[in-house]
Amino acid sequence: MAAEPLDPLLPEPAEEANAESTAGPRPRGQSAQIRRRRGVIVAVISLCSLAVAARLIQLQVIQSARLAERGTRQKSYVEALPAPPGDLLDRNGRVLATSVVSRSLFVVPEKISDPWPSAQRLGRALHLDPDRLCDRLQSEKKFTWVKRRLTAEDEQAFRALGLPAAAWGLRDEYVRRYPQGALAAHILGLRDVDGNSRGGLEQSLEAVLRGCPGRRTLYRDARGRVIDVPDDTDIPPRPGRSVVTTLDSIIQVYAERELDRVVAEWRPHGVCALVEDPSTGEILAMASRPAFDPNRPEGVSEDAWMNRAIAWTYEPGSTFKPFVVAGALERGRVRPDEEIDCAGGETRLASRVFHDTHPYGLLSVADVLVKSSNIGMSRIGGRLSNGELFATIASFGFGRSTGLGLPGEIAGTLRPVKQWSSYSNASLSIGQEVAVTPLQMITAHSALANGGTMTSPKLVLRTLDGSSSADADLPLATPVVSRAADREAARWLVAGPMRDVVLRGTGTRANLPGYSVFGKTGTAQKLDTATGAYSADKYVSSFLCGAPAANPRVIVLVVVDEPSGGSHFGGTVAAPAAAEILRQTLAYLKVAPDDSSGQPHETTAQRPATYFKR
Amino acid sequence: MYFRFGAAVVLAVLVAVSGIAIEKRCLMLRRALSRDRYRYEGLCDLYARQRLQTQQLGAPARLLEALESSDKPIIARSHSARETSRGPQVAVESGVDARR
Repeated sequence: MAAEPLDPLLPEPAEEANAESTAGPRPRGQSAQIRRRRGVIVAVISLCSLAVAARLIQLQVIQSARLAERGTRQKSYVEALPAPPGDLLDRNGRVLATSVVSRSLFVVPEKISDPWPSAQRLGRALHLDPDRLCDRLQSEKKFTWVKRRLTAEDEQAFRALGLPAAAWGLRDEYVRRYPQGALAAHILGLRDVDGNSRGGLEQSLEAVLRGCPGRRTLYRDARGRVIDVPDDTDIPPRPGRSVVTTLDSIIQVYAERELDRVVAEWRPHGVCALVEDPSTGEILAMASRPAFDPNRPEGVSEDAWMNRAIAWTYEPGSTFKPFVVAGALERGRVRPDEEIDCAGGETRLASRVFHDTHPYGLLSVADVLVKSSNIGMSRIGGRLSNGELFATIASFGFGRSTGLGLPGEIAGTLRPVKQWSSYSNASLSIGQEVAVTPLQMITAHSALANGGTMTSPKLVLRTLDGSSSADADLPLATPVVSRAADREAARWLVAGPMRDVVLRGTGTRANLPGYSVFGKTGTAQKLDTATGAYSADKYVSSFLCGAPAANPRVIVLVVVDEPSGGSHFGGTVAAPAAAEILRQTLAYLKVAPDDSSGQPHETTAQRPATYFKR
Repeated sequence: MYFRFGAAVVLAVLVAVSGIAIEKRCLMLRRALSRDRYRYEGLCDLYARQRLQTQQLGAPARLLEALESSDKPIIARSHSARETSRGPQVAVESGVDARR
């Protein structure tokens, strides 16, 4: 079989030879034409080869790096992997806040050719307004959310629509859930639809709870379909750490339930309650009304966002008096067995007239507290210099933040001595001219209940991983301990006058059978901002109580802002609620009853020598 | 010579077939791994949801009132219902456990 000629224009060499031998030599013009054609063909092929070679050099040498990067970019897709935020737990492990995966639907508007019919179908399936949806679908964007946090029914209804696959997608997101509902909502705060923390522990512990998002590289084909998920490029998300708080859900329920009853009965402007372990400073419950449900934060009134326990101040009134007495006792300016002249219920100090609710003559120091005599207290406070009174008040933590760490906590107002007027000493002695938060008040009373040692309040116990490095990120869990009052004075105040307040004073409604309850009522007029004077019909009623008096395990504070149910006295409005919270908490904590009589053990005149040895 | 050539071809084919088999096995394992990972993620999600539901159902705010008022029909009813519906099975299972 003869080989085919390489070029059909060129004759076979044998044929050429035969042709030459048979037909004689080829004409000169013809062979020149063949050579010319051959040269053209060689030149074209060479040029093509050169062009290809040049292009290859351009692509593989000159533009190599750029094109490789472009190819990788087109092929690979980096997907962010969200990290689940850590949980918030109460001290017994009940979940207060946790995260679950939820799917959200997005569309690519530029790939939707018929926006209005699509909007109508989507609107019907997902219960959305088709007009608004159509506006979004008509935009030139490459991404727009249709609905966040789809339910299973939503997802099923949407899939049944059969929209083109390239036009939509589902993205997994972590959604925050609060399984206890509105319980402790002010302490926990919440996370918005984008997972950003808003208020409460969610915000203050953001660095601990947040975690670290990961990423995953996906390889896609030209049509965008995933063809490979290489493992070596994965960076897994690091979940946030879970935090155990000092709260006890049961005690929190007790507190919130009582607040709801106070709201129903007294219709106040606001009310809050705090329950604390005085020896450790651990907040067992903190509640405020009005409140909100963090699972449904839409449409909540502005008032409801405020945590009154930390972000609201009031003039404490009589609940402030024990601190002044503690300061006077510690400095030896008054003796427990001393009698104070209460001037028959009315006296003038500088330009101001002080009144008592009942006219008293001589009262012991204990009875000044038991009967909550303003004149008696102004006399006791007057024995302290302004500097000493300021130091006494400041030593109990007033005028500065407690360090609890919740966002929005305010420091209250304690003016420096140089701004005091001629009757500031007397006013401060009865709990006026000072603005405190309920948290400051219970912290200060915890110091008295704890033998004069003040422990800063805390809301965080530990993280769940328990490593020391993790706990180093929890400054809120670090207690600060300081000496606020003399030990003997504090013990005498708690077991003596404050116990008598409940037994025979203004807080008898808080007397619990079986327990030696101590307490102090507070009824403070509110300042009328319009007139600049104290209002005659707006009060803050408060009551602080604890038990057992000899070794307090729990103290409770209830503060009611502007009660309007007929009475405004702390012993009437706040004491029953505080006592009920205390009763339930003591039973829940299995604190053994310590007092079977429920009566004063001795007369006031005898007690100082028994309780207070100086 | 033909034998050597044939042996070389067979060897090359065997190597290629083995490579393909190993590659297929590798892909299968990777698929299984991916599937297990997604299953694991799904189970984690399910665990989170059920834990949430458990906490919601057992929330003190929901149960405390009923417990305090000694009104325990829910607990009593579910307990008795379980006993009536699963009584024999529970007995058998506990008997097996006891023998073990």
